[in-house]
Amino acid sequence: MDKDDKNQQGQQGINTKVLKQGLCTGCCACVNLCPSIEYYKDKTILVHDCNLEKGRCFTYCPRTPTDFEMLRCALFNPGDMVLEIGAFKGLYMTRAADENIRAGAQHGGTVTALIQLALDQGFIDEAILADQNDQFLPAAQSIVDKDEVSGKSGSKFAVSPTLSVFNRISKTDTGKIGVVATPCQALALAKMKVNPVPEDKMRMEKLRLVLGLFCGWALDWRKLQKLLKEKTGDRKIKGIDILPSKYACMEVYTMDGTIEIPIEEVNTCVRDNCRYCFDMTCEFADISVGAARSPEGWDVDRGWNQVIVRTDLGGQLLALAREKGVLEFKAVPDKNIENLKKASAGKKLTCLINLSEKTGNPDDFIYIDPEDPVVRHIKKLRG
Amino acid sequence: MSSILFENKKDFEALLMGNDAIARGALEAGVNVVTGYPGTPSSEIVEQLANVAGERNLYVEWSVNEKVALEVAAAGSYANLKSLCVMKQVGVNVAADSLLHIAEYGTRGPLVLVSCEDPGALSSTNEGDSRPYAKMMEFPLLEPGDFQEAKDMARWAFELSCDIRNIVMLRSVTRLSHASGNVIMGKLPKSIPEAIFEFSGTPMDQMKGAVLAFPTLVDSLRRRQHEKLSKAVAAFEESPFNTYTGPQKPELLIITSSVCNLYTREALTILNLWDRVGLLKLGTTWPLPSKLLEQHLSVCEKIFIVEEGTPFLEDNIKVMAAEKAKQVGIKTFFGRKDGTLPCVNELNPDLLIKGINHILGTSVQPVLDDYSAEAAQIIAAGVFNRELTFCPGCPHRASFWLIHTALKLDNRSGFLCGDIGCYGLGAGPCGFSTIKILQAMGSGIGMAGGFGKFDRFGMSQSVMAVCGDSTFFHAAMPALVNAVHNQSDMILVVLDNSGTAMTGFQPHPGSPAGAMGSKLPMLDIEKLCRAMDVRVEVSDPFDLKATRQILLEFLEDKGNPRVLILKQPCALSPIRKGRKMYEMAIDADRCLADHCGCNRLCTRVFKCPGLIWDTIKNKIQIDEVLCAGCGVCASICPTGAITAKKVR
Repeated sequence: MDKDDKNQQGQQGINTKVLKQGLCTGCCACVNLCPSIEYYKDKTILVHDCNLEKGRCFTYCPRTPTDFEMLRCALFNPGDMVLEIGAFKGLYMTRAADENIRAGAQHGGTVTALIQLALDQGFIDEAILADQNDQFLPAAQSIVDKDEVSGKSGSKFAVSPTLSVFNRISKTDTGKIGVVATPCQALALAKMKVNPVPEDKMRMEKLRLVLGLFCGWALDWRKLQKLLKEKTGDRKIKGIDILPSKYACMEVYTMDGTIEIPIEEVNTCVRDNCRYCFDMTCEFADISVGAARSPEGWDVDRGWNQVIVRTDLGGQLLALAREKGVLEFKAVPDKNIENLKKASAGKKLTCLINLSEKTGNPDDFIYIDPEDPVVRHIKKLRG
Repeated sequence: MSSILFENKKDFEALLMGNDAIARGALEAGVNVVTGYPGTPSSEIVEQLANVAGERNLYVEWSVNEKVALEVAAAGSYANLKSLCVMKQVGVNVAADSLLHIAEYGTRGPLVLVSCEDPGALSSTNEGDSRPYAKMMEFPLLEPGDFQEAKDMARWAFELSCDIRNIVMLRSVTRLSHASGNVIMGKLPKSIPEAIFEFSGTPMDQMKGAVLAFPTLVDSLRRRQHEKLSKAVAAFEESPFNTYTGPQKPELLIITSSVCNLYTREALTILNLWDRVGLLKLGTTWPLPSKLLEQHLSVCEKIFIVEEGTPFLEDNIKVMAAEKAKQVGIKTFFGRKDGTLPCVNELNPDLLIKGINHILGTSVQPVLDDYSAEAAQIIAAGVFNRELTFCPGCPHRASFWLIHTALKLDNRSGFLCGDIGCYGLGAGPCGFSTIKILQAMGSGIGMAGGFGKFDRFGMSQSVMAVCGDSTFFHAAMPALVNAVHNQSDMILVVLDNSGTAMTGFQPHPGSPAGAMGSKLPMLDIEKLCRAMDVRVEVSDPFDLKATRQILLEFLEDKGNPRVLILKQPCALSPIRKGRKMYEMAIDADRCLADHCGCNRLCTRVFKCPGLIWDTIKNKIQIDEVLCAGCGVCASICPTGAITAKKVR
């Protein structure tokens, strides 16, 4: 780290090394920490300049230089580490037992069922999860009543400002907080939890559970709005979804029927920063949930989730879900774990290639240490 | 009115400011109609005359803009009244179209245009020089060279206008208008005017015909205009306001006018050169008195022309010297053009000394070149570095805070077109550098209307404009009409602080009273905008939350212009001055100071002068003396360390 770097570990660093580099994930870890950074319509905005040489915005950002190995050691049992997909205590295939939950979910409704359970059983006192408005602008909400959870289910295609709500709520005299997080958000939470600045120690103790979401990419809301406008004109949109199918497309449900947007066009709306993401399975969560993909075909496991348990807490929650019957389980095909590792390693490799292209240096991955064991492993896989 | 300025006796001496002297001169001439638009350094003339409007039976108005001011004054002239129209240099540009036509036709009752100009741009965004209008539009120009002349020439300007039946311009500058000197007063006349507009004569009957600028009449009108100019020159040749001081055959002839007369006199005295250098001070600077100049040019080879603004005298005298080359011989000219004097900024005796040293080889040391820099350095050690900033409690600070925030959140590299008023400071740190374009009155809205049409060329930036309430009436209305009609995608924010604040709270058409203090109907900016069928919202800039919401909604909206009127009186206005809305207090335990989480947002970014940073305790403090109690800082403090308690 040169002198300039040392002096730029505050908002200026966020600006030059994250925002201007196109790395900002929109996770909102830097929002609601101070009055100078705000989230507005899917963008992290530096409203007022701040000249501090060191700031929490920089410290907690998932795209500033991060010691991944230190975080893994602090949060997980080293014996559980799997290089491609992070800490691993088991892979499960589940869906919500409640049909009503499943009906509102993109896949199996596992996240909704687990959060409801966690609130109900006192694992957590408050859950922070994503929501969206009628223009699919993601929002985040803190919920204490389990009955409010189900209305928030279903995939959000843009990043929600979840951590801005976490930053706000954790300052209040609330109890244990559970967060439904994307990989970037889970990484920021890990940075906050493992190495908080002294004034944040108390509030980070309130973070009890991180329920992670598998993530391939997120859409840029402002670009998505434009695309939807182009495709649907003035028609009122009731909903959007990307269903697992042979021919991937985004389905837009309007009053006059469904309009399909080919996935190639949707891909133009993907946030640039997602090209630089090193994590598909949300490795810094207690438990991670994604869509089930069976080696036998896209529709075999339709309506089911895959779940990776990473910590004892995650394991306890899943065991409780089984015991209380809120989740249904089915056997996981043998090949699934290998497929998952392959897919995850693929994303990591793409990330490293994209980062080194950006820096023009094969060993400079901006926020990822080239000596990190996972990086070394991925580079080796590439050969 | 008890002011010595208006005492109705003669031959008494008083210390008068230049503008007061001009006002007195107009009274001595028996002025009836006084109009103007406020602008430094001109505003006091209309204000002073408004003070005696009742006593002296005057009609005084602050007009909506300078063009209308000149038209109202011209109506006075055509109704056989004596009219005075006052403005600053930029106003002459606004009035120029009417000025051209008035000068072409001529006047009936005397009409005097006073332009108070600002060399060095002490209170202006330019160094505009209006003297070339006199040449371009062919009417006489007078420039007083001291305070007595300011009064005497103002009076004489009415006489001249009456004699030649055309408009006369009297030009002052800041250092004359706003400095003071002894003036011996003349008599205030009794006049019983009878206003009537005659139109029974033929079109070329200047005193009784219809006043028509018609293509077929232009040739005749201009010939008549030139006769008037010749008549003026004849008067100028004999004028006591053109004076010569110095030897019969000077080594150097200095020709000057206006306040440069005083600088030159001081320089010649310091240099002790009165026996070698001659000083021709011209009070009548257009058209030039050619015989007088011929006489002086022929006795001296070196000519030094001393003037501020453009090289107006210099060019005209050079032309005359060329025309009279046979009589006066070849001359060497010195002035602003050859670098003997700097080509911009105002002059002073030191610059004159340097110039004369250059020409005559004298070696009196003027003030040292690095004097300013050195003085600044010495002063810097003992004086706080103060930025140009809005007053404590100024609504503009809150307005710019909101506009800055909204444009940032909008995240489309949006920008704000500024306008002329205190809010021009919005281009600097106190306005969070929000203004990116700042030119003439009304031009912010005009340009925003242009930028808002360029989406077809790929322009995707958000465009906003601000103007004050006075500027709205002065020049923004046509620009807004244009933007509405052409469906420009822009947002106008009217910063309505209830008066022409920057120049001293002169009323405007939205005010409840006029210059003379009588009650007048108030024009409602909101209603005017609504009549244009655009989306209009009204909000209080001190209500940060509500106003921010409106701005963000406006930025989302597309297509036609949207108008947000931010209403909050100026902190120095009679309604607010000395009255706090909130009693501010500090909860020091909550103050995060320069720690992450705040980093002194209040004193580092918001920077109201009513907030002071206690460098010992490292906490925020309220400056009880300066705080105007607007309460806005409590809204921006992220921790509630600044509290506001409503004052009943």
